[in-house]
Amino acid sequence: MRIVIAEDDPLLREGLALLLRAESLDVVSTTDTPESFLAAVAEHDPDVAIVDVRMPPTHTNEGIVAAVEARRCRPGLAVLVLSAYVEQAFATELLAAGADRLGYLLKERVGRVEEFLTALHRVAGGGTAVDPEVVGQLLARNPHTSALGRLSPRERDVLALMAEGLGNAAIAERLFITEGGVHKHIRSIFAKLDLAPDDRADRRVTAVLRYLKGAGPN
Amino acid sequence: MARVRKRLPASFDAVARLVGGLGTALLALTVLVWSGVVALLSCVGVGVVLVPSALRVLRAVANRERARLGVLAPGPVPRQTRAAVRDVTVRRELAWLALHATAGLVAGFIGLAMPLTMLQNTTYPFWYRLLPPVDNTPSFIFWDIFRDVTDLTGALVVALTGVFCGALIVGLAPVLVRVQEWPGRHLLAPPAGVDLSLRVAELTATRAAALDAHAAELRRIERSLHDGTQNRLVAVAVLLGAARRAVDRDPAAVGAVLDRAQDATEQALAELRAVVRGILPPVLADRGLTGALTGLAGSCGVPCELVVDVPGRCAASVEATAYFVVAEALSNVSKHSGAASAVVAVRRKGDRLLLRIGDDGRGGADERGGSGLSGIRRRVEAHDGRLTLDSPLGGPTTMEVELPCGS
Repeated sequence: MRIVIAEDDPLLREGLALLLRAESLDVVSTTDTPESFLAAVAEHDPDVAIVDVRMPPTHTNEGIVAAVEARRCRPGLAVLVLSAYVEQAFATELLAAGADRLGYLLKERVGRVEEFLTALHRVAGGGTAVDPEVVGQLLARNPHTSALGRLSPRERDVLALMAEGLGNAAIAERLFITEGGVHKHIRSIFAKLDLAPDDRADRRVTAVLRYLKGAGPN
Repeated sequence: MARVRKRLPASFDAVARLVGGLGTALLALTVLVWSGVVALLSCVGVGVVLVPSALRVLRAVANRERARLGVLAPGPVPRQTRAAVRDVTVRRELAWLALHATAGLVAGFIGLAMPLTMLQNTTYPFWYRLLPPVDNTPSFIFWDIFRDVTDLTGALVVALTGVFCGALIVGLAPVLVRVQEWPGRHLLAPPAGVDLSLRVAELTATRAAALDAHAAELRRIERSLHDGTQNRLVAVAVLLGAARRAVDRDPAAVGAVLDRAQDATEQALAELRAVVRGILPPVLADRGLTGALTGLAGSCGVPCELVVDVPGRCAASVEATAYFVVAEALSNVSKHSGAASAVVAVRRKGDRLLLRIGDDGRGGADERGGSGLSGIRRRVEAHDGRLTLDSPLGGPTTMEVELPCGS
C-alpha cells in the first residue's frame, strides 16, 4: 500500500511515517503544506493519503480543502483525514460527495495502532471510517427523534458501529454476536428508520449519516 | 429659633453654591461677549473661521457647569460648523449661556454680597470709631445710606440691618440657588435620548474592541494548545503504539522509539509551560511588571540594561503581553543576534504602554524566519497595539511596541 502523509507538525509526521514503515507499509512521501501534498499526490499516485485538517497558512480547514481537491483530481484516491477535535462541519464537508474511500478520525486514534491500521485498510479497500466521537455526537443530537427512540439498545449499538463504517462481520465481532444476528438487527433498523436496506458498507454509512444529520430518509 | 438653627447648614450650603455658580457665570459672561463678537464678525464673513473654536470654548464652560451640577456630559462638538450650529445640544448650551451670564451672574453676585454685608453690618458697632470721620465711604453696597452714622445708636441700627440681612440669606438663598441652577439643570442635561445614544454607541464600540482582543487572545491560546501540546501528545501516543508493536517483532528497535516518545513528552511539557506562561505569567502577579521584567533582564544571555517607568498598573492582559514581548525579544537576542549587550526600556505615556528592546548584534531579523517575531506581532495586534521592527543587516536591531493600557 502506497501512502502519502500531509502533516505540518514535524514530530507527528515522523512518528506516523515510523509507525507505518514498521508495519511494512510504503510511505512514499511526507509533506507539510497543502501545495506540496497535492504535488506529491500527482507525482506518486498513492493508494491512500493521510491528511491533517489544520495546516498552514491559516491552520483551520486547509487539510479538508486539500483532501477534497486531491479526490477531485484522482477520483479513486482513498483519504484518511486526521483531526485534532471533532468538527461536524468538517465531517459534513468531507462526506458530502459520498463516503466510500473516506475516513475521518481523531488524531489520538492513531495510538491504538491495530484499530488505526484496520481503519486505514478499510478506507484503502473502498470502505469508510468515521470516528466514534462523530457518530456519538450525531446520535446524542437526535435522541428525541421518535424513530431513534423506537430502536432497542442493541439496535442503537449496531447503528453506531454501522455509521462508523464497520461491516457486518466487524460489528458481530465487536458486539460478540453472530453475523446472522447483526443482519437481523440491521434489517430491523432499516425498517424502523424507513431506509432502503443495502449491504454495501459505504452506501449504508451515507444513508445512516444522512439520517442522523437530520435530513431524514430521503 | 430652633427652625433657624436647623436651616443654617442649608443656608451655608446655598451660599457656597451661589458663589460657585458666580464663578461659572463670570466664565459664561466672557464667552457670551466673545460669542457675540464672533456672531457679529460672522455677519461680515471673517468670523466664520472662529465659530468652531468658540463652540468648543462654549462646550468647555458648559461642561464645567455640568460637572458642578452633576449632569452627564455629552460627546465632543460636531466637527462641521454647519452640523455644530444645528446641533440640539449646542443650541441649548447657547440658551443656557445667555441665561447664566445674566440671571445666574446676578444671583451669584447677590449670594456673595449678602453674607459680606451681613458680616460688615453686624460687626459695625465694634469698629465704626476706627473709621476716619470724613472719608468713611467704603465700597460695599447699602453703605451710602449710613455714611453719616457716627454715634452708637446709629451703629446699632446698622448692626440690625446686618441681622436682617442674615435672615434674608436664610430665607432667600435656597430660592436663589434654584433660580441660578435652573438653566443648567434643564438646558445642559441630555435632551431626550440624543446624547445618551451617542454615549452608548461610543461605549459599545470600545466594548466590542475589548471583546475582539479577548477573542483573538483565546484563539491564540486554542491554537497553541491544539497545534502544539496536543500534537506532541498524539506523537507520544503514536510512538508508544509503535513501540508496543515492535516489542514482539523487533525488540532491538523499541529502545530508540521509546527515546523519541520520551523526547516528545518533554517537549509537550515545555510547550504546556510556555502556553500557561503566555496566558498569565505567575511572576507578574507576585512581583508586578517591573519585578517580572527585572527577572527577565537578569536571566538574559547577554548583559541587559533595564529602564522601567510605569507608574501604577495596567490591565493584567496588557502586562502579560508586555512581559511576553520582552521575553520573546530577549530570547531572540540571546539566540540569534550575537549581541554584546541589550537595552529594554518600558514607559507609560498617557494610556499607552511603550516598549523598546534594542541590541547591538548583527541585525537582519526576519518575521518569516520562525524566530517568534510573528507570534509577537499576532499577540500585539490582538491588543490593538503596534509593532515596528528596525533590523538592518549588520545591526543594530530595535523593536518598538505600543500597547493600549486598558486602565
